[in-house]
Amino acid sequence: MSSPSKTFSALMPGDLPEDSSKRALLAEIDASCRVPVLFFVVSGLLWLLAGTALALVTSIKLHSPGFLASWEFLTFGRVRPAHLNTVIYGFASQTGIGVTLWLMCRLCRVPFVAPGLATVAALFWNIGLTVGVVGILMGDSTSIEWLEMPRYATPILFVSYALVAVWAVITFRLRQERQLYVSQWYLLAALLWFPWLYATAQIMLLIDPARGVVQAAVNWWFAHNVLGLWFTPIGLAAIYYFIPKVIGRPIHSYYLSVLGFWSLALFYNWNGLHHLTGGPMPAWMITVSIVASVMMLIPVTTVAINHHLTMWGHFEKLRHSPTLRFVVLGAVCYTATSLQGVANSFRGISEVVHFTHHTIAHAHLGLYGFFTMVMFGSLYYIVPRITQREWPSLGLISIHFWGCFLGLVLYVAPLSLGGILQGLAMNDASVPFMKVVEGTLPWLQIRTLAGLLLALGHVAFVANLVWLLARVFGPYRKPVVAILTGIETPAIAGK
Amino acid sequence: MNVLAILMIGGVLAVPAVGLWALHWASCNGEFRLIDRAALLPFDEEEPVGQPTDLILNRHSPTT
Repeated sequence: MSSPSKTFSALMPGDLPEDSSKRALLAEIDASCRVPVLFFVVSGLLWLLAGTALALVTSIKLHSPGFLASWEFLTFGRVRPAHLNTVIYGFASQTGIGVTLWLMCRLCRVPFVAPGLATVAALFWNIGLTVGVVGILMGDSTSIEWLEMPRYATPILFVSYALVAVWAVITFRLRQERQLYVSQWYLLAALLWFPWLYATAQIMLLIDPARGVVQAAVNWWFAHNVLGLWFTPIGLAAIYYFIPKVIGRPIHSYYLSVLGFWSLALFYNWNGLHHLTGGPMPAWMITVSIVASVMMLIPVTTVAINHHLTMWGHFEKLRHSPTLRFVVLGAVCYTATSLQGVANSFRGISEVVHFTHHTIAHAHLGLYGFFTMVMFGSLYYIVPRITQREWPSLGLISIHFWGCFLGLVLYVAPLSLGGILQGLAMNDASVPFMKVVEGTLPWLQIRTLAGLLLALGHVAFVANLVWLLARVFGPYRKPVVAILTGIETPAIAGK
Repeated sequence: MNVLAILMIGGVLAVPAVGLWALHWASCNGEFRLIDRAALLPFDEEEPVGQPTDLILNRHSPTT
């Protein structure tokens, strides 16, 4: 644990002396992360359960509009943005921050610096989020997609985020490993990009709103970049760390990983406006966005090739490691959703799939299939180490994985196909609009079934986590050697 | 031009400027030269290369 003077000195200009302290042991680092990381992770998972419940209500309403229709706070216009915000800012952002904190400590080789700062940040984040989600359900939504939380909630979130950013700067300055791993590049970039995106969107859409189509442009620039410049770097950072760690082999090509990072930084920011193809926007803006979307093939293929060749010869380990299962599934989904995104940016395809359920499937393949799976995998690795407890139930791990995997397939595949059929029907002037709506019903019912499978997986995961945390306060410790190495040893009794 | 507009333009200029500075810093600090060493950074003496971790499922051990 660092002293206050050391914490403050980390914020001062000039390099710290190389021998200011020795590199910390991994167990020491992990133990130091326990409270702040668990705070972010556990609250993130509670928001995941809330978001899942809201998602199920939303999904059922799409094919059974009378469901829970007598309460105004449960109407579709409120439940749907409440689901989005609980999942984006409640689950994904908090879990992502928790994983970021642990990865930064591990790769910087320092124990957790200023844990109080990060814990207060988590507390503020949850207060701000609760105020925001309740505000949405009470009817105070801003009606701007991905920014629905009312203005009175966002300053609290921003203060919380600022504390996390300060923590990251301190940790980076105090690092005992001077060279950076590619994961750190991704994490530091994400921590820089998010406040820029969030502040710009808040100012241009809510504080001093731009007029006309500029609002749509800023909205899609923000929404698309939250996925690409906030969640994607954190997810890729985790993949680049956990695949090598689990299989015990360095990344296939570090050159490719560096190329992937810098090309993502260069091209992703321009992508968002391809969602406005056909809209009342200057054509050159859309064209630039489409070109940048195609250029995304560079980071996507470098990442895909690198991950695949790193895993080559180690696929049998997928049977044994829950971390690897989730992380590799997430990596595959990253490639799939990115290639789908490139295809969807073309004008000819966009005019069919835009405004259809295909876009919803695409968004879920990205945020759920890629990011959420990687976060689940990361937590399977991190939580036993910071709590020094094994996962209590391997059966619940299997239920979690297969529930999420089958739910994901059942969600994305039918909705993608249904969306294309919906788009083709909408573009056919001879088909009445109500006929198009009726045609989507079977796909929407399958989506609810998929949601139930996902919910089953989430409940299994949270139950396993609660069980594990209950053991933290129990009288005996389980051996941790098996967690670290996968090799069973005789049980070690005692505290 | 109001304060918010200046902030917006400042942000647009600052982010790529930070990116260029980071590229320069990385170049000066050997981030692009010591590639082979960087690839080994997730590993150390406690968890070295060649040692898999987290293999907790289907271990077929009497204790599982």
